Amino acid sequence: MQAEQLVKELKSILGEDKILHEKLDLLSYSYDSSFKARNNRYVPDVVVTPTSTEEVSKVMRLAYEHGIPVTPRGAGTGETCGALAVNGGIVMDLATWDTIEEVDVENMQVHVRPGVVHAELNKHLAQYGLFFPPDPGSSAMCTVGGMVANNSSGLRAVKYGTTEQYVLGLEVVLPNGEVITTGGVNSRAIKNVSGMNLTKLFVGSEGILGVITKIRLRLWPKPKARGILMAIYDDLEAAPKTVLDVYKAGILPSGIEILDSSAIKAVNEFKPEINLPDAEAILLFELDGNPASVEWEGKEVSRLAKQRAAKVEWSTDPKRMAELWQGRAVTASAAARVRADGSRIFAGEDISIPLNKVTESLRRIKEIGKKYGIGVVNYGHIGDGNVHTAPVINPEDPAEVDKANKLIDEIHRTAIELGGSTTGEHGVGAVRSQYARLEHGAALDVMFTIKKALDPKGIMNPGKLLPEEGNNHAASASTGS
Amino acid sequence: MLLQQVPAVKDLLRKCVRCGKCRSVCPIFKEIKTESAAPRAHVFLTQLLRDGELQPAADVAQRAGRCLLCKSCSVECPSGIPVDQMVVAMRNYLKDYSNDSIKQFLLSTLFKNRKSLQRAHFLLQGYQATGLKSIVQKTGLLSLISKDLEKASRLLAPVSGPLASKNIPETAPAKGKRKMRVGYFLGCATNMFYPQRALAAVEVLMANGCEVVTPKELQCCGMPHIANGDAASAQSMTAHNFKLFYEAGVEAIVSDCASCSSMLQGDYYDQLFTDELPREVAHFEGKIFDLNKFLVDEIELQETLSPVPKTTVTYHDPCHLVKSQGIKEQPRKILEMVPGVELIEMEGADQCCGGAGTFGISHYDLSRSILDRKINSIKQTGAEFVTTSCPACSMQLAHALTEQGLNSEIKHPVELLAQAYKAARQAKIS
Repeated sequence: MQAEQLVKELKSILGEDKILHEKLDLLSYSYDSSFKARNNRYVPDVVVTPTSTEEVSKVMRLAYEHGIPVTPRGAGTGETCGALAVNGGIVMDLATWDTIEEVDVENMQVHVRPGVVHAELNKHLAQYGLFFPPDPGSSAMCTVGGMVANNSSGLRAVKYGTTEQYVLGLEVVLPNGEVITTGGVNSRAIKNVSGMNLTKLFVGSEGILGVITKIRLRLWPKPKARGILMAIYDDLEAAPKTVLDVYKAGILPSGIEILDSSAIKAVNEFKPEINLPDAEAILLFELDGNPASVEWEGKEVSRLAKQRAAKVEWSTDPKRMAELWQGRAVTASAAARVRADGSRIFAGEDISIPLNKVTESLRRIKEIGKKYGIGVVNYGHIGDGNVHTAPVINPEDPAEVDKANKLIDEIHRTAIELGGSTTGEHGVGAVRSQYARLEHGAALDVMFTIKKALDPKGIMNPGKLLPEEGNNHAASASTGS
Repeated sequence: MLLQQVPAVKDLLRKCVRCGKCRSVCPIFKEIKTESAAPRAHVFLTQLLRDGELQPAADVAQRAGRCLLCKSCSVECPSGIPVDQMVVAMRNYLKDYSNDSIKQFLLSTLFKNRKSLQRAHFLLQGYQATGLKSIVQKTGLLSLISKDLEKASRLLAPVSGPLASKNIPETAPAKGKRKMRVGYFLGCATNMFYPQRALAAVEVLMANGCEVVTPKELQCCGMPHIANGDAASAQSMTAHNFKLFYEAGVEAIVSDCASCSSMLQGDYYDQLFTDELPREVAHFEGKIFDLNKFLVDEIELQETLSPVPKTTVTYHDPCHLVKSQGIKEQPRKILEMVPGVELIEMEGADQCCGGAGTFGISHYDLSRSILDRKINSIKQTGAEFVTTSCPACSMQLAHALTEQGLNSEIKHPVELLAQAYKAARQAKIS
């Protein structure tokens, strides 16, 4: 179908207001945060902004009939081209569908549409004393739909785990337009083992199996107290050892974050008021719970940290805690500040390493950076081994881009070699599927089988998550424009 | 200046990682919600124009026009991208493609020099006073010319008295011991729509030992021009105004208008002056102040105050004060100083009102949705009236308050301070 005809058909389904097809609109849907999107233009043929399950279903039926690729999208804050139309077709922007349908306080759950912004959800839930624990760095702008599709986590995964642990059920529009509900059609149960766990199949499937249109999330009581301990190290390698000391002492902080010397510099440049001390590394421990336990744990973690750290700061002052936590949350984007003419690139940025190999991984990343002459800022969720590496380059210099691509590949392979993974929370998208066989072996074939069963025409977010080797049928699905 | 030579474009554009943080703070994105309204989309368009991937055209100019220049994104950007600078650079680059005739008309008449301001004042006063306004609005005559112009005409505050400049001497003596010779930058909107505010500003400065110089030949600060793509006019106005102050030998320049002080401090100078700053402009670096800040931080404020009639107020932070200049506490300090005044904070006091100078004229409906959020916050305070430090915000707020039958009186904190000084003087006499 020609793009012009497609726009016409979509207008008849959704009405004029929910279709974007002017060149300038389409261009703004060609990027996310990834390095790959910086170097390529993935311009969709049309963007739709449905706000009902029926509308999504109608669009899918049309796309299915004509074999047109559909790429669901949240806020476009991803780092993997996951929400970009790499094969053209329709981008389905679900961010405008941001309704919190029901807070079921007694059953400790909330029903939301995919476009609800994470921070807005937790702001709303605070009045009930509840919260949705995963805490991505992009909380202020990312959507819950995007979090579910990518199984996001973030700063508090140490204690609270990832998004999948909170998804009780989903409404999903399948590629052929059919609508299903996972986790029980009318269920409000928290535990449920009836049937195969389709909910978990869709969580983290990056939009390649269907469009998530409704999410039933389990909520937790919001802890009454919180404290943050900052430990300052002269030796980068001493920091991960403190993490193990804390676990051995039987303490499970809600978050444990690391910043290396360049990350510290980046944070101070962005928010001078945070005023982090110059050091080789800083660890931030977040402790939450009831006031007495937080106080006790704070003292204990301080004692343990002092054994290896040069200095320790314990804070329960809301202003200081907000500064420290926000400082860490924005490191991702602030990393560029370490080099006047540089930009941080999101590539090779999300490796996940076994806890006992974190020190080694940090050392090896430093060496790889040195080999290519590229400065790498390291920070991340050290409590669960999810290290964020931020190469800072001049992205407009082709020689540096070339070197960066080599560096990224080495970082990914190092992660696999150390018994880790190429991605802990950002996902595969169109940037890491080349490592899928290496990481998953024969299990990859089962993934292909599932994909084919649910999406025989290969129209759902083609070019993502799975490598091209089993995805060739998707390449033929194009608008022809 | 070529787009690629603009320092922000040359040095900082590449730092945008498109993280989307700007989506969470942009007042326009909050209303439109699709990606092309996000500030990072403006940065992306700038990049495409710079690299020739996109050619200058009317639709690009129109997109570049859809920004309040409120700087909410610029101050929150983790990568340090001054998005407003990118937008201003685009507007200048695309000026020949902008077809916003209403704005161009206003810029070439209302905001040019004192003479054009006087002419506009005369016409507007006649228009509003003779009942012509209501006839024109009721008959829809203006809408025959332009729907937006008809709506926009309602945004202008009533012009009741003469221009402030008629009643302010070129040099007003300090009361008591002279501490400083200060230049008062009387902005166009204060001069025309809020003359009593200007008088209060001068009075308070005088009462605090300042000899106040208000040059008669002042022109517009240039903000409306640079914001609408006319860097050449903004440059000549800037050079002209600073020359006047330089020749008058003032030690500091003060303005009660957030946008004027922000502009005079050099928000966009690197897009106006390619080489070095003119000597007269450079001379005043660090010596240009918002009136609130000047009174609270730069001089020892005279504190002989008598109570004003008991009242409750709320305060709206103009973007060009709180985001451009980081000024939040000083106007509140002034309000708290005035006996009889109780300040009730509104939720989101620092959220943009949607006015943004001439933005409300060209994007009335969008501007109005942003304004409605603000009015809701104001209403929730139950305060008797609103205070703020920007005449454009004042007009925007008054417009909606009037429509809703609420108290549309908007004051600058300095007006309440002037009132308390006056009460003290009267108490002394009696």
